[in-house]
Amino acid sequence: MQIQYQTQRLSLRFFMLMLVLFVVQVIYGMILAAQQVDPTLLQGWLNFNVARAEHLNLGIMWIVCGFIGAIVFVAPLLAKRELVAPWLIKFLFYAVIGIVVWNFFTQFLAERGIAGWWLGQPWLQQGLEYLEAGRIAGLLILVGFLILAFVVLRTFPRVREWNEVHWGLGLGVGALAVVWVFGLFYVARLDLQEYFRWFVVHYWVEGVWEVIHISLIGYFLVLMFKADVKSVGFAVFWGIALVWLSGLIGNAHHYFWIGTPEFWQFWGSLFSALEPLPLVFCFWHIYLDAHTNKRPLENAPAFYFLLGSTVLELVGAGILGFVMTFALTNVWSHGTWVTAGHAHLALFGTFGMLGIAAAYYATPILRKVPQFDPRLGKLGFWLVFIGVLGMAFAFAIGGTVQVYVYRILGLDWFGGDVNRAMGTYKVMLPLFGLVLSTGAGVLAYDLFTLGRRMRPQAAVDAETTPHPATGWRRPLTGFEAGIWLLLMWLFGTIITLGLLSFNLPHVRVAGDPTLPYVLAGVGYPGLLLVTLLFVWRFIASLEARASAPAISPLLRVLPAQG
Amino acid sequence: MSCGSGDSSCEKPRRRSALLLLGVMALIFIALSVFSFLPSRGQATPDAVSFGPYQANDGKRVFQAYNCMGCHTMVGNGAYLGPDLTEVYRHAGPAWLAAFLPSAGGWPTEAAVRAQLLDPNQHADTGTDTIDAYLQKYPGAAARIQRRGGGTTLMPNLPLSKDEIGQLIAYLKYTSAMNTEGWPPKVEAGTLDRRLQLAHGPIALAQVVPAAAAATTPVASDPAAWGAQLVKDYGCVACHASDDKKLVGPGWGGLYESSVSLADGGKVSADDAYLAESIRQPNAKIVAGYPPGVMPAYDTLLKNDEVDAIVAYLHTLEKQ
Ligand code: HEM
Ligand code: HEM
Ligand SMILES: [Fe+2]
Repeated sequence: MQIQYQTQRLSLRFFMLMLVLFVVQVIYGMILAAQQVDPTLLQGWLNFNVARAEHLNLGIMWIVCGFIGAIVFVAPLLAKRELVAPWLIKFLFYAVIGIVVWNFFTQFLAERGIAGWWLGQPWLQQGLEYLEAGRIAGLLILVGFLILAFVVLRTFPRVREWNEVHWGLGLGVGALAVVWVFGLFYVARLDLQEYFRWFVVHYWVEGVWEVIHISLIGYFLVLMFKADVKSVGFAVFWGIALVWLSGLIGNAHHYFWIGTPEFWQFWGSLFSALEPLPLVFCFWHIYLDAHTNKRPLENAPAFYFLLGSTVLELVGAGILGFVMTFALTNVWSHGTWVTAGHAHLALFGTFGMLGIAAAYYATPILRKVPQFDPRLGKLGFWLVFIGVLGMAFAFAIGGTVQVYVYRILGLDWFGGDVNRAMGTYKVMLPLFGLVLSTGAGVLAYDLFTLGRRMRPQAAVDAETTPHPATGWRRPLTGFEAGIWLLLMWLFGTIITLGLLSFNLPHVRVAGDPTLPYVLAGVGYPGLLLVTLLFVWRFIASLEARASAPAISPLLRVLPAQG
Repeated sequence: MSCGSGDSSCEKPRRRSALLLLGVMALIFIALSVFSFLPSRGQATPDAVSFGPYQANDGKRVFQAYNCMGCHTMVGNGAYLGPDLTEVYRHAGPAWLAAFLPSAGGWPTEAAVRAQLLDPNQHADTGTDTIDAYLQKYPGAAARIQRRGGGTTLMPNLPLSKDEIGQLIAYLKYTSAMNTEGWPPKVEAGTLDRRLQLAHGPIALAQVVPAAAAATTPVASDPAAWGAQLVKDYGCVACHASDDKKLVGPGWGGLYESSVSLADGGKVSADDAYLAESIRQPNAKIVAGYPPGVMPAYDTLLKNDEVDAIVAYLHTLEKQ
């Protein structure tokens, strides 16, 4: 396969930048995990809050780089013409680097208490979770989003000719900028500040990013499996509609305890409980679309990551979000490591993996090596996948212990009581973090050097060795996929009940943690294992296609015409 | 109309009804939001809260400038390295905070909190002037002093100024006053002893609890060593470094017998009498470059031999 438009090439630099920032971000993650074990580590040089600000901001930045790369790659295809003003996209690339470097330095000012107040605004850094960047960086980021929106919308055909993918991406890049504006004001009241901070954080991930995600996944499925644009369009439409219809008021799940009135508990619990719907929908579609034809996978790593992204969106965002989205469960999980488990699985799983999938799809085409060696990419996938599942486990179980010691027993001495109880899981976190980091390194190395390395003969041989398509490798039926989905929700329900059980007098007053511990101890490992097995099973069934008896050329073309 | 080619959409009618529904929801959301911030809700606001001369509004800026939310949660949002700060003022009170914040690397002792109570702002804010009444009113302070007092913390020392500390206390007073709909949930699992036992079991408990109590035996035979202990107990080191570094107050290293410039333009030699006076009545002579009224007067807190021991300790400190 070849690129059709020269400006698609501009995506490559964003993918490479994404990988660099990803690697730096996980290094910060390892520092944080180590500081959670020993908080005096690097104290005075790189305090936890500065490292955390970098970790969060880089996480957002590399995911956005992945989006930009993917959008720059597909926009000309969708528009059937070159990007307008490619120089703006080149400028955007250097602007992103400039902002990242600037933010790296200004975050350190938090150690001296310097925010750069001027005209009532913090210009250098502002110490709000996820929005740590100061106003200078914030305004530059806004300009960046406007550039992206301008280029994409000017490149696209007239609105009358848009299909659902155009709509998804068009609305997505526009809303990306609009939502960011709510983070650009200093707000003196704490309740109002948090109210608007979640406009950015919640409406980004659960409004805008999910929309961009669902559109890109849909379009990549069209590209990879020649899936029918109409059926993908249907999925994208319902995906977007459900995301917004549930997520708009769903934002209220952040308004339970920030000082806003009680009625939000009703609205938030009700509507955000519906937020997993579009994710189940998208999950189902990747099953259907990957089975529109029976051809072998052409680009295994790209598909691995697309699958990982969709499955982890369901599990990490949908299910682990669902379990703590009710006022009665959130009252316990709120402000503990339980939320961090959700955050990692959802953010890295859904959006991080999408960027990597796009990079794997685009890079071989741009470097003209369609026959690249997929083994490192597959290895990298399994490392980051297992790593992030393990980290979610450590966060979630550690968080459950934290809920008991900190909230039920009310012991608030972290050095003496809380850390002591969470110790095992605090150590487990960097161990799985190391697995994820190794995977990040492997992926970055593979994608940097892809097409510049010799492809060893052994790889070619290994691929052509036939696997029998039976047992674990037999084709996945819709019925079986449904059973897997059901199992995931079963364990999700167990986790929900575990969090609910903290309300029981037996736990809350008598202080017996057995029930919540057992339910969490069954629910989390169950859910994460089912996820791991399902992805393995799905991939095994697709890999077996490579060895299925060669399908006659005629049959191969037929489904593609759909 | 064909939409299979990808050129145009086949979901148009549904798009319209979905948009309509979305509009209705947006209206609901906006209405709920407006109700949330009406004055009739009676929610605490920062411009109505102060601590002495310090405003909660300013404290919020300090809180953001140091990115406290990068290690702590506030109303449950933020990071999970340290405890939630929403109600720390309500539990531990302003004097404990004032003793803790200048040198957050160590937990304040009872004496250090007592020294803070001499501050008229504290007096006005807490309505108490004895340590016993204070600990009664803020049981969180009592528990902290008893279990951790004098120990080291996991928090880094931050270069907070005296004013910033007052402002932070005002801000934490505001967040404590906020109605957060019952979060964090009330603890119903019984007494502290019982809860500690549940957390650590009876055996491990022995290792967690005692620590602080053992530390404070006076070492009268060695006045300098005793003095070193006293400056820790009374929280002096929250504001003074043992070398010549400037923290909230001047560093002590090489201070003895040096010549000190005063705010009124005069000079004085730091002899025993000057040092003792600076402990008992710090506002009698203000060192150049420092505002008056920052350090509490230890006159009523320290006995004569304790002041002598501290002076003896100051003799031993070199410039570095
Ligand atoms: C891909 C989509 C999603 C991503 C990337 C994501 C990510 C996050 C992140 C980063 C946080 C903040 C954690 C913190 O700072 O403490 C969060 C909080 C939360 N998320 Fe999600 N999320 C997603 C989808 C969902 C969904 C679909 C639901 C509900 C079904 C959900 C429910 C929640 C809840 C209830 C919280 C609040 C936790 C608290 O502060 O108490 N999330 N999410
Ligand atoms: C080696 C891999 C990683 C490790 C060891 C790691 C570790 C950590 C740690 C220790 C925290 C702080 C939690 C706390 O405040 O106690 C954190 C926060 C966070 N990290 Fe990571 N991280 C890693 C990778 C990632 C990746 C790849 C992403 C997303 C792209 C990510 C996104 C986040 C987010 C959103 C938070 C805030 C969570 C919350 O507040 O609930 N991390 N991470
Ligand atoms: Fe949310």
